Amino acid sequence: MTEVYKKLESIVSKKYISNSPYIRHAYSRNVDPILQGIPDIVIRPKNAEEVAEILKIANEENIPVVPRGGGDCEFGGSKPIKNGGIVLDLKRMENIIELDEDNLVVTVEAGISWGKLNEFLCHFGLYTGCMGPGSGMTASVGGGVSHHSVGGGGCAKYGSCTKQVVSLEVVLPTGEIINTGSQSNKFSKFPFNRLGNGPDLTGLFCGDNGIYGVKTKVTLQVFPKPEFADYKTFLMPRKSAEAAATIFTEIRKKGIDIYDAFFIPDVVVNVGSQQGFFPLWDRLKRKRGIFFYVVQANSEKELEEKVKQLDEIILSKKSEALGPEISDGNYAKWYYTEQGHWQNYHNLWGMYPALEPLTAECFCPIGKFPEILRDIDQWDVEHNEDMQKILEITKIRPISGSGPIMLIDGNNVELTCGFTSFGKYWEGEIHEIIEEIDHKLWKSLLERVTKHGVQWYMMGDYMSRLMVDIGAYPEEYYNLMKSIKKILDPKMILSRGKFNFWGDDNE
Amino acid sequence: MESRNLLHKDLDFLNLQKGCGDCGYAIRPAVNRFLTCPIKEAKGEESFELYFPRGRMNVLKSILEGTLSLSQELAEYVYQCTECGNCTEVCHQTQNENIVLPTGQWIDHVKVWDALRRDLVEAGYAPLDKHKKLIQYMKDDAKRNPYGENFEKKFEWARNLPNIVEEGDLMFFAGCTMPLRQQETLRNMAKILDAAGEKIILSKEEWCCGSVGMRIGDYDSIQELINHNVELFKNSGAKTIFTACAGCYRTLNKDYSEILGEELPFKVKHITEILIDLINNNKIQFKQEVNKDVIITYHDPCHLGRHMNLYEIPREVISKIPGTKLVEMKRNKNNAWCCGAGGGVKSQFPELAVEISKQRIMEAIESGAEVLITSCPFCIGNLKDAHEQMDPEIREKIKVIDIIDYIASKI
Repeated sequence: MTEVYKKLESIVSKKYISNSPYIRHAYSRNVDPILQGIPDIVIRPKNAEEVAEILKIANEENIPVVPRGGGDCEFGGSKPIKNGGIVLDLKRMENIIELDEDNLVVTVEAGISWGKLNEFLCHFGLYTGCMGPGSGMTASVGGGVSHHSVGGGGCAKYGSCTKQVVSLEVVLPTGEIINTGSQSNKFSKFPFNRLGNGPDLTGLFCGDNGIYGVKTKVTLQVFPKPEFADYKTFLMPRKSAEAAATIFTEIRKKGIDIYDAFFIPDVVVNVGSQQGFFPLWDRLKRKRGIFFYVVQANSEKELEEKVKQLDEIILSKKSEALGPEISDGNYAKWYYTEQGHWQNYHNLWGMYPALEPLTAECFCPIGKFPEILRDIDQWDVEHNEDMQKILEITKIRPISGSGPIMLIDGNNVELTCGFTSFGKYWEGEIHEIIEEIDHKLWKSLLERVTKHGVQWYMMGDYMSRLMVDIGAYPEEYYNLMKSIKKILDPKMILSRGKFNFWGDDNE
Repeated sequence: MESRNLLHKDLDFLNLQKGCGDCGYAIRPAVNRFLTCPIKEAKGEESFELYFPRGRMNVLKSILEGTLSLSQELAEYVYQCTECGNCTEVCHQTQNENIVLPTGQWIDHVKVWDALRRDLVEAGYAPLDKHKKLIQYMKDDAKRNPYGENFEKKFEWARNLPNIVEEGDLMFFAGCTMPLRQQETLRNMAKILDAAGEKIILSKEEWCCGSVGMRIGDYDSIQELINHNVELFKNSGAKTIFTACAGCYRTLNKDYSEILGEELPFKVKHITEILIDLINNNKIQFKQEVNKDVIITYHDPCHLGRHMNLYEIPREVISKIPGTKLVEMKRNKNNAWCCGAGGGVKSQFPELAVEISKQRIMEAIESGAEVLITSCPFCIGNLKDAHEQMDPEIREKIKVIDIIDYIASKI
């Protein structure tokens, strides 16, 4: 056993560290079929102090460290980029520290899942507003904050989860522990507000994809869950993407306070219905795009008025309202009342065994997404030859397109587009060509979508490096990111490789 | 021992494995989903991701891709799993029939873990030491049971029972655990059936059903057992074979025909299916209760519930006993929490098994029940072991009892 291992073991004790190859491989992947990085050590600290000690040793020894919460990143963000280094499994840190019902803030350890946190809050009539990412059932709060996560519900009303951040406890890469927001005033007794006491350093660690510090505690604003809600689903007319974009825009221009609004593209409804994923839409003669919304209110009268305004907008676009029950086709009711908000994107996995998504998840202006969707269709045609090579081996052609498109804050949507494909293992053999093509196609698609001017939020290993490689960052901006990185993490040990911050390592 | 990659004999299952999307959904769902993996929860803070589904799938992916090998070390991790099937139950289940998430259609984690165990055995890294002993005993003509007891001891419970016959339509398969460890329960069963006028065939040639071998992944050890038992059943002339062991029930009813590749020429029933028929036909006369209702909760054994979809009949049996009120634990039926004994965990990792059962007993107490009933000798054994280890003030809050013994006390 190496000296480094012994030093790390003395921090957390034997039970919470391992260099077993099996444990290391268990931590070597995220939610995509092709990226892998095998750490040398997996360690499970209990608190910020242990994290600090680990990072100090890592700095001394120049060992890269990757923080991992739920491990649900779709771009390889919570595993090493190159083999080696340490994975910091933060799931031991999943306690609720304090719910302050008077001030409507909750402080949690960063390894807690959005699901577990909201399960606790619901007993008090509260929720986090934005319910984290689409994988919030298992994804960690710290991970969500690291990626400006959206997708788990409530984003049209509350924006991304980082908008609810009040304060963070962060361990810097060199081992210092800081508190941000109101807690940067050491006389503040409890976290109550994010902005003030100088520059918004909380923002430095929001969406950082884990490069600037390890979040160990997060204080979030929480909200009373409104008593009244309604949820409706509509079958869209032809040119459903354009119609949906118009609807999103009108909702925003009329200032209607809406909890969630989604457009599910035709291809998802069509293919999904053929595969038997949507019995609730079996009776629909035309399998076109679906639009659904959820709206909340504090009184029945308020609710009625909001629903009236929304329905007027949607029905004016020649859409058809589906019935009130889930069995009538009311997907929105399942989404809001049966935790569908944490499963909404999961129909992208397993349309065929081992067919998994390689996604491009970004924010863009509402008016932009129909154009992007058309361009993805065009991209698919242009890359048909590569797609056919995968078909020849697996008998299944990758499918390009988009999952549900979600209204987020401002005049923006979140777009989960991409293509589904296979990993290299297929029916008893390794087909390296599949993985080669996957990488080629994925990079090509991501670059294509980037050039539409989108804004990436979950970037991880793959996307963070691609943005740099294709020169998407203006030089001054990238240099600023790099300067901050060098100050906070001189040896670039934390999430080494993301954004091409390699330190002394060569890529 | 030379290591090698998986043999790809069970390709269907391996492709099922590939259906795992690594989403982690099967790890820790929340908000009424009540957690997933009893091993992961029992391990608590020590649970590295290898102890639950996604981590195992990641390791399996590496093995299939040739970057990791089978080994004894891997076996130690793999056998820390009760194969309860809750991961499949949770995986991409929407809990609403109107929306079906795709992966939930393909994946069957238990079959995948099973295939991996089979390959570990073939490669020589399993069975683990305690499991090896069980297999040796099963193969031994003088024993033919995993407890290492002499063969004849299995039939001591049936001495002098008036309702055992040579011929008939109904044959009882006793298995190993109940005749060797819970004889009183079997005698109670015989008493109930006798009171109901039911005659049963009992063969003194039955061997272990082979469930232990199957769960360990040693399929070579069980072929002879299966052939022997099926021959016995056919020769008996019985139309129905029934058993009081959930493990034997699943093995006879499901595994035998799958392994033999043919439908069996007899029905297989669980004791609760026999009991409900007798109760509904007024053949079991219960004492009339004058005291207040006893509050009972029912623990679904995995091999009866999730594996065989037998949830309602045991509940119906309990509900028909006068003076009982049935309440449900928070995690019941297809979401039932495993007792911790299955998959070879009880024999190889007994402390882990008992730790899981302690959680189940606490859950039973939380339901408000005074009595925890189940219908599986493994569950009973493990729950009772856990019960004995708990503090006296907890022990006195709840009794753990087999459904057969409870009925016997009420007739």
